[in-house]
Amino acid sequence: MNKNKYQHITDTELLNRFYAGHDNEWLGILLERYTMLLLGVSMKYLKNEEEAKDAVQQVFLKVINELHKYKVEYFKSWIYMIAKNHCLMKLRDKGRFNAEINDRALSEAVEPETTNNFIEKDKTLDNLAGALLQLNKEQQQCVTLFYLEKKSYQEIAQQSSFSIMQVKSHIQNGKRNLKIIMDRMSGGNES
Amino acid sequence: MSDDLKDILSNLNKDIEQEKLLDYLNKKLSAAEAHEVEKQMADDEFMNDAVEGLEHFKNKQNLSLLVDQLNSDLKKHTAKKKKQKEKRKLKDQPWLYITILIILLLIIIGFVLIKKHLD
Repeated sequence: MNKNKYQHITDTELLNRFYAGHDNEWLGILLERYTMLLLGVSMKYLKNEEEAKDAVQQVFLKVINELHKYKVEYFKSWIYMIAKNHCLMKLRDKGRFNAEINDRALSEAVEPETTNNFIEKDKTLDNLAGALLQLNKEQQQCVTLFYLEKKSYQEIAQQSSFSIMQVKSHIQNGKRNLKIIMDRMSGGNES
Repeated sequence: MSDDLKDILSNLNKDIEQEKLLDYLNKKLSAAEAHEVEKQMADDEFMNDAVEGLEHFKNKQNLSLLVDQLNSDLKKHTAKKKKQKEKRKLKDQPWLYITILIILLLIIIGFVLIKKHLD
C-alpha cells in the first residue's frame, strides 16, 4: 500500500517533490496522511457527517488547485488553517457563525509552536515547578496528574470530581497559564 | 521528575498513527497508551480539534471505511492530472513526428526507385 511505501518520507520531502515537478501524486500521498484529522476537524465545526465528508473533499480540491501558488513550509499547520477557515466560512454562509475569515491565511505558513528553548536551562525547571504552584487548584491537580503521574483523562476524571471535558479543559488552560507565568518569569529575570 | 516537568513545555511528540487514533476513539487502548495520545492532543490543536470532531461520529467502527473512501476519491483527482500531463507529454514528443516523416520519405523514395526500375 502507498501509505507504507512512502512512510519513511517526511512531509517536507513530499512537499519539496511536489514543488519540484508539480506532480500531484506526491501531494496525494501527503494529503492522505491528514484525511482522518481533516474529517475530525470538519465534524467538530459542521456537526454533520455528510457535510464533514464534503468539506474534506472540498479542502482536498482547494489544496490541489492552490498549493502551487504558495510556498508552504509547515504543511500540517497550513492545512489545518485551510480546513478550519473552510468550515468557518461554511458556517458563516449558513448564518450559524459570524466569522471573520482572513484571506491572508492562505499564504501564511505558521511555524508550529515550540517552546523547547526553555528546556535547556536548569533554571527553567525550577521556574516551572514554582509556576505550577501558582495555578489554580483544579488546573494544578489535573496538570500534575496528567504530566507528572502520566494518568489518562479517564483516570483523572475517576480520581477527581471532574468530567472528562473538564479535565481536558483544566489541562489545556493550565498548560497555557504555565507558559504565561514562565514568560513573565523569564522577562523579569532578564530585566 | 525534571524529565516529566519538561513534558509540559515540550511539543516534540511524534505524530500518532491513524490506527492508534482509531483504537483510542474505540476505547481499545490501555491507560498508558491513552495517556500518550492525550499528551499529543494537549500539544497539538489540530489533533485536539480532530479528536473532538471524530468523537461525534455515531459509528466509529466505520471511520476507517470513510477515510478509505475519501482517499480513493482523492486518488482519482491526483492520478487524473498526472495522466493528462503524460498525454500532453506524448503530444510534445518530437521523435514521433520525425519517425513518421522518415517512414513517409522512405515510402516515397522506394516508390520512385521501383517506378524507375520498372520504366
